[in-house]
Amino acid sequence: MSDEKIIITVDSDLEDLIPGFLENRTTDCEKLRAAHADGDLTSIQSIGHNLKGLGGGYGFEKMSELGASIESAAKSGDTGVIPGLINELADYLQHIDVKFE
Amino acid sequence: MAENSKQYKILLVDDDADILALISTWLKNEDFTVITSSSGEEAIAQVDIVQPDLVITDLFMGGMDGMQLLSEIHQDNPLLPVIMLSGQAQIPDAVRATHLGSAAFLTKPVKKEELIEQARKALRISGDNAVKENVDRRIIYRSKEMAQLVELAKLVAENDVTVFISGATGTGKEVFARVIHDASRRKDHPFIAVNCGAIPEQLLESELFGHEKGAFTGANTRHEGLFQAASGGTIFLDEIGDMPLSLQVKLLRVLQDLQVRPVGSTKSYPIDVRIISATHRNLEEAVKKGEFREDLYYRLKVVPIAIPDLAHRRDDIPVLIEHLLAESAKRTGQKKKRFSPDAMDHLVAASWPGNIRQLMNVVDLCVTLCKTSTIPASLAKTAMQDKPGPMQTLKEAKQAFERNYLISVLRVTSGHVANAAKIAGRNRTEFYKLLNQHNIDPTQFRTGKSPRASDEDN
Repeated sequence: MSDEKIIITVDSDLEDLIPGFLENRTTDCEKLRAAHADGDLTSIQSIGHNLKGLGGGYGFEKMSELGASIESAAKSGDTGVIPGLINELADYLQHIDVKFE
Repeated sequence: MAENSKQYKILLVDDDADILALISTWLKNEDFTVITSSSGEEAIAQVDIVQPDLVITDLFMGGMDGMQLLSEIHQDNPLLPVIMLSGQAQIPDAVRATHLGSAAFLTKPVKKEELIEQARKALRISGDNAVKENVDRRIIYRSKEMAQLVELAKLVAENDVTVFISGATGTGKEVFARVIHDASRRKDHPFIAVNCGAIPEQLLESELFGHEKGAFTGANTRHEGLFQAASGGTIFLDEIGDMPLSLQVKLLRVLQDLQVRPVGSTKSYPIDVRIISATHRNLEEAVKKGEFREDLYYRLKVVPIAIPDLAHRRDDIPVLIEHLLAESAKRTGQKKKRFSPDAMDHLVAASWPGNIRQLMNVVDLCVTLCKTSTIPASLAKTAMQDKPGPMQTLKEAKQAFERNYLISVLRVTSGHVANAAKIAGRNRTEFYKLLNQHNIDPTQFRTGKSPRASDEDN
């Protein structure tokens, strides 16, 4: 994993919302790991679906892509790829550096 | 752009708090008023309370989903636009939502520009701007009842359909008709209003359809009827319920053939006119009694607009009053007056049998009589009770006339009694007797003075 920051430019109107939004996504990562441990594909699919719908709206396109992949993997029962996708999401969240304009 | 948005309330429904926060921020930045609901069930309760102008809802939610919400909303509020958001671009969902009356179906992640554009479109802020502004500027309302009628007026303005407006006297039927005309593609052509109840039967036919030279005694020239005069525009047939049966059949033929045949003519002329009719009468009753042709009734009533009495839309009274006060201030160039809270309460609670026309008169009277900037409840109450005085007896009327006559003659003769008596055809002695009876002093007129105004009115 690289330590390089991922610069994301977000509309300054959303400045107040971003900290809470990212915190909720970190929680999503934890929920995804727990659901995976329980073999709860329904929850994984649901969280993936939400991430897909949310990320792009806030300006985090990559988050939407990862959410879509997680949803799709859970839907098709492709459990093997799910941990990698969760890790990718967690790594993405850790390296985000938000700039407002 | 934003100034148009302020008045619009948008109910946003999603069970995801982050989506609610995001979309709320976008809409608020465009100056919309946003109310949020975290479930379909909560949204249903909110619709009646907040009376939104637009609902934006997620499709997939725990409990009631967006599709159910859309159906429920449209049961009671068929004209309320609903935009559906979905995480899945499923064509069957989009088709079903459209079928149920969804204004737009957007896929998440939704883009800000796309959402704002669709919201404006659904609210008719963009695109049909001219229609929207024209209608909204002219009809003052806040109530849900009127909002639905205004929405209907906007829809019919864009089409050429025949409109039938019902409502009690003073509810603003002609205003509605004019607004529809002004918001339509016919706006640059004439709007002609005819009061079918005020014109004698023989004259009405010739007024509406025209006549040829020599068609009847006194028809010295050819006369173009109002249907032809309104060519390209709108003809407003007010008090259609008072139209004589003999003319009803002729009007029916005009509506069927879109041609008019002037009185005394063997030739028919095509017409291009939109017809809006109105009445304060219950036409269904008139049809049952055989006073109004059923076939004509249904021809006219393609789109019915029933304007409620003012007492049935009390929410509108404060905004109407505000509007009337502002108009009055503009007209007179004076500072805008206001009603005291007590006065406003009284006006809002009043029965208003004369509807908006009565309200206009009361506001005008209060503005005229009130010398301060705040109109008190006492004045509002007095203005409401303003009724015509009791009729004079014949004797009283004769007395009043005689007195006014004497004053006029003395004014003309500058108080010269001999000349005044001559004009009146009386001798001086008789004339003096009359002056004594009415307590009029002729010398007052000699110095340029005249009796007190109140005396004159007696």
